[in-house]
Amino acid sequence: MTRKQRRLTLIGSAGVVLAVALGLILFALNDQIVFFQSPTDITQKSIPQGQRIRLGGLVEEDSVVRSDNAQVSFRVTDTANVIDVTYKGILPDLFREGQGVVTEGVIGPDGVFVADSVLAKHDENYMPKEVAEALKDQGHWQGGEEPESQ
Amino acid sequence: MVVEFGHYALVLAFALTLVQSVVPLWGALTKDERLMAVATPVSVVMFLLVLASFGALTIAYLNSDFSVLNVVQNSHSAKPLLYKFTGVWGNHEGSMLLWVLILVFFGALVGVFGGNLPSDLKAATLTVQGWVTAGFVLFLLATSNPFARVAHPPIEGADLNPILQDIGLAIHPPLLYIGYVGFSITFSFAVAALILGRIDAAWARWVRPWTLLAWCFLTLGIAMGSYWAYYELGWGGWWFWDPVENASFMPWLAGTALLHSAIVMEKREALKVWTVLLAIFTFSLSLLGTFLVRSGVLTSVHAFATDPARGVFILTLLCIFIGGSLALYAWRAPMLKQGGIFAPISREGGLVLNNLFLTAATAAVFVGTLYPLVLDAITGEKISVGAPFFNLTFGPLMIPLLIAVPYGPVLSWKRGDLLAATQRLYAAMGLALVMTLFTFWLWGMEKVLAPLGVGLAVWVMAGAISEIVTRVKFFEIGPKRGFARLWGLPGSAWGTAVAHFGVGVTVLGIVTASAFQVEHIVTMRPGDKVEVSGYEVTFDGAAPRRGPNYTEEVGHFTVRRDGAYVTELDPSKRVYTARQMPTTEAGIHTIGFSQLYLSLGEGRGDGAVDVRVYFKPLITLIWIGSVIMSLGALFSMADRRLRIGAPKPAARRKTASLAPAE
Amino acid sequence: MMFWILIALTTGVAALAVLVPLARGAKVQTGAEGSADEAVYREQLEAIDGELKRGLIDEEAAEAARTEVARRLLAAHDKNQAQSGKQLNGRRLKLAQLTGLLLLPAAALGGYLLLGSPGQPDLPLEARLSAPADQQSVDVLIARVERHLSQNPEDGEGWAVIAPVYLSQGQPQASARAYANAIRILGPRPDWLTDFGEALTMANEGLVTADAHRAFEQAVSMDATAVKPRFFLAISLGQEGKKAEAVQAWNNLLEGADENAAWVHAARQQLAALEENGDAPSQLRGPSQEDIAASQEMGADDRQAMIRGMVSGLADRLEKEGGSVEEWNRLMQAYTVLGEKQNAEDAFASAASAFADKPDELSEIKDAARKLGLSGS
Repeated sequence: MTRKQRRLTLIGSAGVVLAVALGLILFALNDQIVFFQSPTDITQKSIPQGQRIRLGGLVEEDSVVRSDNAQVSFRVTDTANVIDVTYKGILPDLFREGQGVVTEGVIGPDGVFVADSVLAKHDENYMPKEVAEALKDQGHWQGGEEPESQ
Repeated sequence: MVVEFGHYALVLAFALTLVQSVVPLWGALTKDERLMAVATPVSVVMFLLVLASFGALTIAYLNSDFSVLNVVQNSHSAKPLLYKFTGVWGNHEGSMLLWVLILVFFGALVGVFGGNLPSDLKAATLTVQGWVTAGFVLFLLATSNPFARVAHPPIEGADLNPILQDIGLAIHPPLLYIGYVGFSITFSFAVAALILGRIDAAWARWVRPWTLLAWCFLTLGIAMGSYWAYYELGWGGWWFWDPVENASFMPWLAGTALLHSAIVMEKREALKVWTVLLAIFTFSLSLLGTFLVRSGVLTSVHAFATDPARGVFILTLLCIFIGGSLALYAWRAPMLKQGGIFAPISREGGLVLNNLFLTAATAAVFVGTLYPLVLDAITGEKISVGAPFFNLTFGPLMIPLLIAVPYGPVLSWKRGDLLAATQRLYAAMGLALVMTLFTFWLWGMEKVLAPLGVGLAVWVMAGAISEIVTRVKFFEIGPKRGFARLWGLPGSAWGTAVAHFGVGVTVLGIVTASAFQVEHIVTMRPGDKVEVSGYEVTFDGAAPRRGPNYTEEVGHFTVRRDGAYVTELDPSKRVYTARQMPTTEAGIHTIGFSQLYLSLGEGRGDGAVDVRVYFKPLITLIWIGSVIMSLGALFSMADRRLRIGAPKPAARRKTASLAPAE
Repeated sequence: MMFWILIALTTGVAALAVLVPLARGAKVQTGAEGSADEAVYREQLEAIDGELKRGLIDEEAAEAARTEVARRLLAAHDKNQAQSGKQLNGRRLKLAQLTGLLLLPAAALGGYLLLGSPGQPDLPLEARLSAPADQQSVDVLIARVERHLSQNPEDGEGWAVIAPVYLSQGQPQASARAYANAIRILGPRPDWLTDFGEALTMANEGLVTADAHRAFEQAVSMDATAVKPRFFLAISLGQEGKKAEAVQAWNNLLEGADENAAWVHAARQQLAALEENGDAPSQLRGPSQEDIAASQEMGADDRQAMIRGMVSGLADRLEKEGGSVEEWNRLMQAYTVLGEKQNAEDAFASAASAFADKPDELSEIKDAARKLGLSGS
């Protein structure tokens, strides 16, 4: 092989690997990313059944029902709309009623959101940022302090 | 006085970085030995000052000195002593001080042990390190001063975030930081070499031990972080593709590529341009990681700092360092001469392949980590890029790389013979095939990919062993002389084999733990039993318990196998009193390389609890493999030819002439 | 002083780190340093020989590698030859020395004075807690006792010590809890019971609650002559709307009292108010101590206005947000006390509709209304 051929082989193989990597990335970005939706988004847009989404909002007060085999159901609200959620598993440490939560899963045929993972906010001062913004959109979140009442 | 002295020491260190930023490089450019000589003592004194500063903050933590704002915000007098200590870096300010400490530590190491370096390269390297240090000390003093005082000290502090009160966390950030801040020295070497126009095989040889050192710690740090998440977060997962994890993983991938391309540069003086670029990229990724974690732009477990002023500051530093070094690179790199040539099938070719796949994988992780942030910033659309994305992009890129790993060391330089190399690897191939079939036989066809993964892991491990065995011609010359030759092998050969073996071990752990894991989520009442992989787990009941700064509800479980007692496990659910924050403590029992993992959910009030029971086959291999990899790096560093601060040329020649007599 | 000496010393060391090499640098030899890369290549040549000897590479490969490394060695040698010869320059040296001598200490000191708090001592918690008591702030003393009590929760004397401190610090709830502990551990004492009741009353913004009432009564039963518990009991009667009994209680209390005692004035005010308005000024939503102090200086009309203000505040709140049974009862009572029969009836109607679907609460409200003489129509 001449020097030029060697160089071409090198560049060619680099090109192939990078093309494969790029293809994989683009394909995965098309297919494997999950959009964040608030209960209002879900109510208003029509989201195809079976599409994975992230649903975020507040866990509605008094909505958590636990049954055997770690089956849990609760409602997620952005104060305008409410979505029923079911989940099988152990809820994160910081999952509480009235607090922010992000769940990931699919909407079932009956309109109930079947979550396969639940993330709660990680500390006292921290609201998942998607949830905070979704609530802001509904005009019910004022950056951390008290909900408006007076 | 201690606190204020610590503060002064930090400011003085900053003043020294200003001297370091100018004088030695000035000397190097004007060939003035006196100015160059300043670099070494200044680097050492700088390290001592930052160490004193760090020590002062530590003392404030240990004494619960609530006149220091940082202590008030992150400590509590009832916290156990160990966590008062680790709390020093369990917060933004303290961890940035640790960052700077490691930065100057590496500077001092090069100062003290860099005796084999030409004085101009050493001076310029320390100057560049001084620039980085100046930037970060300024960042500390201007936006995150750990020594800010409060006029009216409160009587109690706010406590450390409880999920950070854990021994894993105590060790994890320092290791991680030594790793990814360690790459700063490689960066400094690269920039210094670009400034001085000194990019040759000798440069690669000087940089290699430092890269190895940083890589070794980064490997340990990532492994430790992964194990910490595994047992502290209670989800049983060991890697989440969380942006913060990615932030440390990207420098690791780039650093691994750098290690390999530096070999080519050292041996053949080829890939010079690429290696220098990788050195810049690796530390740039470290800086990017620091930005992601420290600016609070992420939604993640580790993002415990949120302050836009800081984010903007780090972003500015990031732009200056990355932009500046790349501009310098663009200016200097075209002047480099072409190095040695090689055929596509050769040791060099193998290492190029390694670099291609590693950089492609880095790019995939990079896109997956930053894409959601960029999309959010541009369109406001919120997405999450999780494990599926990375499994689909990172996974396929790793497979050809792993297949190629055993080939690398058996191919010869310049022009290799693929067929001959394959013949040398027949044994490894056979073993891999047998293990694949065995796994198929064990598990049937329900999981097709897993046995192939097991085969791949065995192939990498067996390949590493057979490389050593064929190198010493074990079977040709008999075991007795074979063992003798084993000792004679250079450290770098051992390093390669051991590190590659470690890769195989980790892959085996990953494949088995993900494919053959057994998981049960059940609600249990006292007396209930659940069976997992032949182990019978009985819930005996739960009882409250008081810790020093938390209260907990402890579940008691007895594990039996075929009726015989195995162990007892006490997973618990804790509430840390100061912040009223709950955490989960998993109960873990190790059986061979596998683990039984129990974690508790919320109690039901009537004595019933939700319990997550896992059997994770061979999961510890993931971390054992990482430790083996870093052991490989240590072997490589111990190589006589790479030893830092080797004796002077004259003395060296004498020892060298004795060496072949072994 | 020690601090500044230490700082001077440290700065001195840092300056020396710059100055010493500058002074000694002239002696450094460049020859050996310049050939550092040549040393690397020589070493590589030796390594090739070693590998050949061990049979790791064949002669042909070794030869090729040797040629290549030798070429690098020669190039490095030529380069080093061309570049050798050191340049020294006096002005450069002076400038460098100046940075070490002047710039460094000036930058460090200036920066520190800008950012630091020179002279602020360390304050380790242990030292703060164990320092002599007379040098300490109340916060520290409280923390010290709290620390002690968290380790010895059964130390009744400790609780009794800290309880009045809480009260004077404006933490009536903590004070009440501390008194309750002291009483639980060491048994009831009239003064503790009285102070316990007072703390409870303050915690409820001036309203004598049932618990407080019981505490005062128990205190009186142990010491029938004690003034303070009887004072509060009289207030309590007034608040409950038992006018005649309240007047009686105040009169009993004032009988034979020393006119100069501080409480006498307040007691007469209460009595006068009762007699003037036909009823006690009901302590709705609890006036604060400032309110009470103010009300003592106000004329009757002003006082009436203040009470009105509080009542309408309560009414507004209940109307908008709803409230507990107790609050509705207080509102009805307040209107009755003010003689606004119609408003009281309205309040009753609103309360009844608010609790229409909760029979227990509803019957409580109806009971209260019947006592106040409200018809519900």
